[in-house]
Amino acid sequence: MHEIKVLKCLKPVYNKSLILSRLGYDKKRTVLSGEAMREVERLILYTEKNLNLKAAYRVMDIIRIDAPQVVLSDGTVLSGMKLSELLKDSKEALIMCATGGSKIMELIERLQAEGKMSEAAIVDAAASEITDSALDLVMNMVGQYLRPKGQFLTKMRFSPGYGDFDITQQRDFYRLLDGETLGISITDTCMLIPEKSVFAIAGIIGK
Amino acid sequence: MTKKEFRKLFNNRIVLLDGGMGTLLQEAGMPGGVCPEKWAAENSDLLIKAHRNYVEAGSDIIYTFTFGANRLKLSDYGLSDETVELNRTLAQIARKAAGRNTKIAGDISSCGSLLSPFGDIDFETAVDSFKAQVKGLLEGGVDLFVIETMMDLQEARAALIAVKELCDLPVMVTMTFDGPRTIMGSDPVSVLVTLQSLGADAVGCNCSSGPAEMVEIIEKMKPYAKVPLIAKPNAGKPTLKQGKTVFNMDAGTFASYAGTLVEAGADALGGCCGTTPLFIEKLKECTQSLRPVQRETKPYSLVCSNRETVEIHPSLPFTVIGERLNPTGKKALKEALKNGDMELVAEIARSQVEAGARLLDINAGVAGIDEKVTLEAMVRTVCNTVSVPIVLDSSNAEALESALRIYPGRAIINSISGEKEKIEKLLPLAKKYGAMFILLPVNDQGVPETAEERIDIVREVYNEAKKFGFGKEDILVDGLVMTVASNQSCAVETLKVISWCSKRFKVNTTIGLSNVSFGLPAREHINASFLSMAVANGLSTAILNPNNESMMQNVRATDVLMARDLDAKNYIDFYSGQTKSENNTVKSQASGKTLYDLILAGDRDAVEEAVRQELIAGRLAKDIMNMVLIPAIQKVGELYEKKEYFLPQLIRGAEAMEKAMKVLEPELVKNSDNNNHHHGIIVIATVKGDVHDIGKNIVAMLLRNYGFNVIDLGKDVEANHIIETAKKHNADIIALSALMTTTMNQMKVVKKLMDCEGMTCRLMVGGAVLDNSYAESIGAYYAHDAYRAVKLAEELVK
Repeated sequence: MHEIKVLKCLKPVYNKSLILSRLGYDKKRTVLSGEAMREVERLILYTEKNLNLKAAYRVMDIIRIDAPQVVLSDGTVLSGMKLSELLKDSKEALIMCATGGSKIMELIERLQAEGKMSEAAIVDAAASEITDSALDLVMNMVGQYLRPKGQFLTKMRFSPGYGDFDITQQRDFYRLLDGETLGISITDTCMLIPEKSVFAIAGIIGK
Repeated sequence: MTKKEFRKLFNNRIVLLDGGMGTLLQEAGMPGGVCPEKWAAENSDLLIKAHRNYVEAGSDIIYTFTFGANRLKLSDYGLSDETVELNRTLAQIARKAAGRNTKIAGDISSCGSLLSPFGDIDFETAVDSFKAQVKGLLEGGVDLFVIETMMDLQEARAALIAVKELCDLPVMVTMTFDGPRTIMGSDPVSVLVTLQSLGADAVGCNCSSGPAEMVEIIEKMKPYAKVPLIAKPNAGKPTLKQGKTVFNMDAGTFASYAGTLVEAGADALGGCCGTTPLFIEKLKECTQSLRPVQRETKPYSLVCSNRETVEIHPSLPFTVIGERLNPTGKKALKEALKNGDMELVAEIARSQVEAGARLLDINAGVAGIDEKVTLEAMVRTVCNTVSVPIVLDSSNAEALESALRIYPGRAIINSISGEKEKIEKLLPLAKKYGAMFILLPVNDQGVPETAEERIDIVREVYNEAKKFGFGKEDILVDGLVMTVASNQSCAVETLKVISWCSKRFKVNTTIGLSNVSFGLPAREHINASFLSMAVANGLSTAILNPNNESMMQNVRATDVLMARDLDAKNYIDFYSGQTKSENNTVKSQASGKTLYDLILAGDRDAVEEAVRQELIAGRLAKDIMNMVLIPAIQKVGELYEKKEYFLPQLIRGAEAMEKAMKVLEPELVKNSDNNNHHHGIIVIATVKGDVHDIGKNIVAMLLRNYGFNVIDLGKDVEANHIIETAKKHNADIIALSALMTTTMNQMKVVKKLMDCEGMTCRLMVGGAVLDNSYAESIGAYYAHDAYRAVKLAEELVK
């Protein structure tokens, strides 16, 4: 698992209520007609169909953790207090990435240009959540590979930009996972294009 | 062990499997980082002891310690050349450990990488890798096989095909689930249908989670299971205790779920990660008085992809089989297939499913192309594009086999006729890959004209199919639609066949609908009428064009009239809130609502007309704006603040307001009521270096519709340009958005320039990474979300 593995054509299981939460939906208070809910569901399905989800991952040895620094086997130094805490029981780390492709971003822009901003907001939220679910899929899959060895993954994963885990470290992830081969580019300001792209790290616990 | 003997194991008792082996061997000294199978073979005494512990605990079947001993996985350790030998040795060790009454299952699991299309491993490479393992296990003398802990249904199929192609021993297959689906997205019913039709002798679930979470998976499989069901869960969830991985469930608690799992439908129980011989011992105690639950014997006609199962029955909603992936008479598709261009195939698949097709017919019959290659490519494309199951429309046995082999579900073959060659070639193929098939009532003498002759052929082919183990539920009879333009009585003969199949023979039916009208003008009328007549005679499915909306309207209506759509639920769901306008297009029903209600409902389609009606009724534009629109949009905001509305409703309200204002504005200008009706001028932008702008666009739209004059500069905007624009328009507020910590510093740059220029306008900021303290630190005002941006702007311009 130490080399980069690329996954394509992913259709991860996602949680619809998390998409609604991103849009401010409150289970107890928000009132939505059946017809409106069906419209939301239709747009979520539309998003699902138009995402071209790919993911990549690799396992790397953690050489040293000296909070806030985490040093990986190739010399990459990641920095973050919470990240160090997350990885404290780990000798290896799972580095991962997921991208939803460029088509969905074109569709979101088209919806905005057509004055369908509410639809655009729903598709945008759905695309973010479903792309994130691709990382859940990667974690579940790797977790399954690890289990027979008596290993498991940390429940949480962190992405650059979370807390003191600086966003500029996206550059390290981009390099470690060869973002270009996944069709991702990174700007000078560390933005990922397509926008629905995400990097993350989790710890591997056990032998 | 024969399949019959295997089934006998389950007679009136719960079969006990073994538990986790890895943990036992780790405790016995297996170090980390080694190839577990190789280490176990070299430490056979320890492995025998571990196996014996399970035999003594009560396991009826123990698994060989060959979980990762397939050729691909062993290559991680440079041991792929030892695949056969290692498996043989490990099977022999298990045989040595097992007592007289304990059976040995040759254990096969994932190759450690995903198969195409998810990963890089080609299907046949996986089959070959598993075959090497199967060969070794057979040489080692296993009684049966188990394929376990599979995440991807396609990989489980590859392993099952590998076993079936080398022996006739029974095979159990269990997959691992993450919540309601496998990690790669298959639901329990599709897993069951695919595997049991492909020849698995028991199906189920292992690893995944604790026993409680497994109950639902087994319950979902139970109604459709023709084979025993297996539950082999983990001992709860793993945690790290004093540097060791431990599972959080003890043996007693684990075994206490036995009754619930058996009640859910499990016929065999065991343990996976974290379980030990003690868990099996406890399970034995708990299962001694338990008996497998009796299964409903109703046969189901089920066809599935790897993500979706469709049940076909004349009492269920009519199943539309999309006909458009057939190049006959379609120039563009023909060209695309000739060029190997699958974009059009994906587009046609998608549009048919969106229009209501529940299955897709796939035909690659173009003269001069390699049908096998093209059909396979079409199947791959359809699988990657949509979730509905497929119908393989070909008479080329080679092309059919290659498509059936790689299809990760249960397909339908279209078709198998009474022709000798078809029966001889295609029935074994359907059996091998577990496909359903369309029975075409023609034989070597040709197409019979009368219903009676066709019925005779149906009986003959069915009798042949029975010899291969097919039941009536595995067959759809084609009513054989001929064109009425050449023989007017042929439609009635087809209806007689459908009626006989449905009412007497109790088998599903289908037709290729559009043949009936060939050669006639206005074909859609003939097609629609014939479809209704056929449905009334019990037709289950039809191959038709789902993108023909009038045909789909007919399908929805006949489903209601034949009570196939219970309580007309699908019909009402589809048509509720819609009404036909004069030009026959469907539009939102808005009449009867006040303008205020329409803004509240965010009804963009109806609001313009409602404003016009208000103006025609003599209401002043100024009054409409001040007394209806503004209170309505304020109410929308209030509902959003109370969380009774969520973001899309807030936006829809603003969009409706925008449309209303477009109608009102000319009137306001005409009556000079438009003087300074906005609250203030806002220059808005996403800062330099930041290319995310949907959040900013939503804020801009809301501000505009809450009465601000908004100048939107877009995204990635230079600070100087923002300042110049604000100065030029004498802006009251500059509003900036940034999504990243790397770009939010641009806000500070803008603020410094504002101060240098001595500007008095306010700076409002927002974005995912911002907070109030950052805003304050640069002398700006922070808006947490789009609506609060509006409220803040209102405060700032007061």
